[in-house]
Amino acid sequence: MVSAAASDSKPSQTRLPGAPGKPTEDPVRPRVVLAMEGVTKSYPSGKVALRGVDLVIPEGDFVFLVGPSGAGKSTVIKLVIRDEMATKGVVLLDGRDLARLKRKDVPRIRRKIGIVFQDFKLLPHKSVRDNVAFALEVTGAPRREFEPAVDRVLRVVGLTGQADQLPGQLSGGEQQRTAIARALVHNPRLFIADEPTGNLDPLISWEIIQLLLRINELGVTVLMATHNAEVVTALRKRVVALEDGRIVRDQTDAAYHRED
Amino acid sequence: MIAFVAFSLRRAWQGLSHNGLMSVAATATMVLMLALLSGLIILLTGLDATLKYVEQEVQVVAYLKDSADLQEVGHLETALGQMPQVTDVSYVSKDQALKDFLARHPDEAEILNSLPTNPLPASLQINLRDPNDYLDVATYLRSQSPVDRVLNIKQTVDQMITVIGILRAGGIGVLVIVGLIVLFIIVNTIRLAVVSRADEIEIMRLVGASDAFIRWPFIFEGALVGLFGAFITIGLLWLCQGPITGVMADYFKVLPVEASATVGRDVALVVLGTGVGIGVLGSYLSIRSYLIR
Repeated sequence: MVSAAASDSKPSQTRLPGAPGKPTEDPVRPRVVLAMEGVTKSYPSGKVALRGVDLVIPEGDFVFLVGPSGAGKSTVIKLVIRDEMATKGVVLLDGRDLARLKRKDVPRIRRKIGIVFQDFKLLPHKSVRDNVAFALEVTGAPRREFEPAVDRVLRVVGLTGQADQLPGQLSGGEQQRTAIARALVHNPRLFIADEPTGNLDPLISWEIIQLLLRINELGVTVLMATHNAEVVTALRKRVVALEDGRIVRDQTDAAYHRED
Repeated sequence: MIAFVAFSLRRAWQGLSHNGLMSVAATATMVLMLALLSGLIILLTGLDATLKYVEQEVQVVAYLKDSADLQEVGHLETALGQMPQVTDVSYVSKDQALKDFLARHPDEAEILNSLPTNPLPASLQINLRDPNDYLDVATYLRSQSPVDRVLNIKQTVDQMITVIGILRAGGIGVLVIVGLIVLFIIVNTIRLAVVSRADEIEIMRLVGASDAFIRWPFIFEGALVGLFGAFITIGLLWLCQGPITGVMADYFKVLPVEASATVGRDVALVVLGTGVGIGVLGSYLSIRSYLIR
C-alpha cells in the first residue's frame, strides 16, 4: 500500500487500519486519522505535484513529512485541509472522503484539524487570548462557553502569563506557541505543523518540538512537515520522505539526511 | 443568530478601525464618487426643469376673424379648455393685442397710430401640456369657423422637440456612464481593502469558519463605509445647498424654487441608497473570490 523504498528500518505497514494502535477514548471513532490512497495532484499548467501517493496515519502517530522544496509536502497539506482537491485517488480524514464533502461541511471538517505555519498567521490586533478564542468564536459558540477551553490550551503551551499581550509584543517562539494553542483549542483529530520552526533559532525550535511531542503524548496525532534534519534524526519518529511527488521512504525510528 | 450578528458587527467595526488608512481611503473614494454622482443628478434635474419650462412655453396662437361671433369664440374657448392636451386658454382681444404690441415695440407707435383702424386680430393663446400635441390642436383650430388662421410654428416645435430629446437622452447617457464608473471605482477600492486582509480571511478559513462567518463581517463593513460616505456626502451637499440653489436660479433662471426641497430629499435618498448598495455589493463581490474554492 505504501510505495516506500524501505531500507534500514522496519516499515510502518505494521500499523494499518484496524490494527491495534494506541488505545482510544471513543471506540466508535476510526483508528485511522488520515488515509491517502493513490493520490495524484496535477495542475492545469501541467505541473504534477503528487504521483500515486499512499499514506496512512493511525491515531496517536507522530509523523515527519520530509523532502526537498517542491517535493510535494505543501500539496499533501493542502489536500488534507481540503484547500485543494486530489486529481485522482482518495483522501480520507477521520473516515470522511474529502472529495464527497458538501461545501457547507468543509468548515466542519477543518475544525478536526489544527494547523500551524512557519509565519504563525496570528491576527496582529488581537491579544493572545483573543487569537485563540477566535478559532472558537467563528464556529458560533457563545463566548462564556469557550473561556475554559481557551484557558486550558494556554496552560498547555505555557502562555497563561502572556494572555493579554498582542502578538507584536511576543518573541517568535511565543507567537508560535499562540498559534499552537489556537490550533489545539478545537481538540483536533490531526495536528499539522508546516515548517513550524522555520523562522525560529535552534534553541527556540527545540522548545517548540518539545511542545509538539507533549501534545502528541496527550493523544493528538501530529503530522509535521520540516526541513530540519537535526530534529528529525534526533527524535527517531516515523519519517515519510517525498521526492518529486512520490513517497520514496516511509519508516519508523528513522533518521533524515538532507540532500537538497 | 444574535451571537452571529453581534460577532459580524463587532468584526466589521474592528475591521474598519484596525485598517484605518484603507477605511479612510475607501470612505473618501465613496464621498468623492457620490458627490460627483449627486452633482450630476442636481445638474440634470435643473436641465429637466428647464426643458419642462420650455415645453410649457409652446403656445398655439389662433388668430380670429374680425367678424367672429363673441359667443362662438366663448364656446370654442370652453371646448379648448376641456381638451386633455391643453393646460391653459386665454383670449386676447384686438385692443389687448394692440396694447401688448405697443408695450413690446414703443418705437412703432407712430406707424400704428397713423393707421385708420386697429390692424391686429383678436386671438386665442393655447398652452399645451406636451409640444408633441401641437399638430392635433392646430388642426382642430383650423376647422373652427371663428378662426382665421393658425400661426404655423410646426418647424420650430419639431426642432425644439428634437433638441429636447437629445438633451434628455444625453443627460441620461452621461448619468449611466458616470454611474458605472462610480460603481467600478468604489467596488475596486473595496476590493483593495479586502485583498489587503487576505491573511485574515485565510486564518478564518483555516480555523474552520463557515462562509457566512467570513462573509458577513466584510459585508457589514462595506455597508458601514457606504453609510459613512453617504452621510459625509449629504453633509457636504447640505453645506453647499445655498450656493447651489443660487447658481441654479441664476443660471437656469427658471428652476422653480419649491423644487429644491424635493430635489434635495431625492438626492439624499439616492446618495444613501447608492452608498450602502455599492458598499455591500463591492464587499460581496470581493469576498466571493476567496470563498469559492
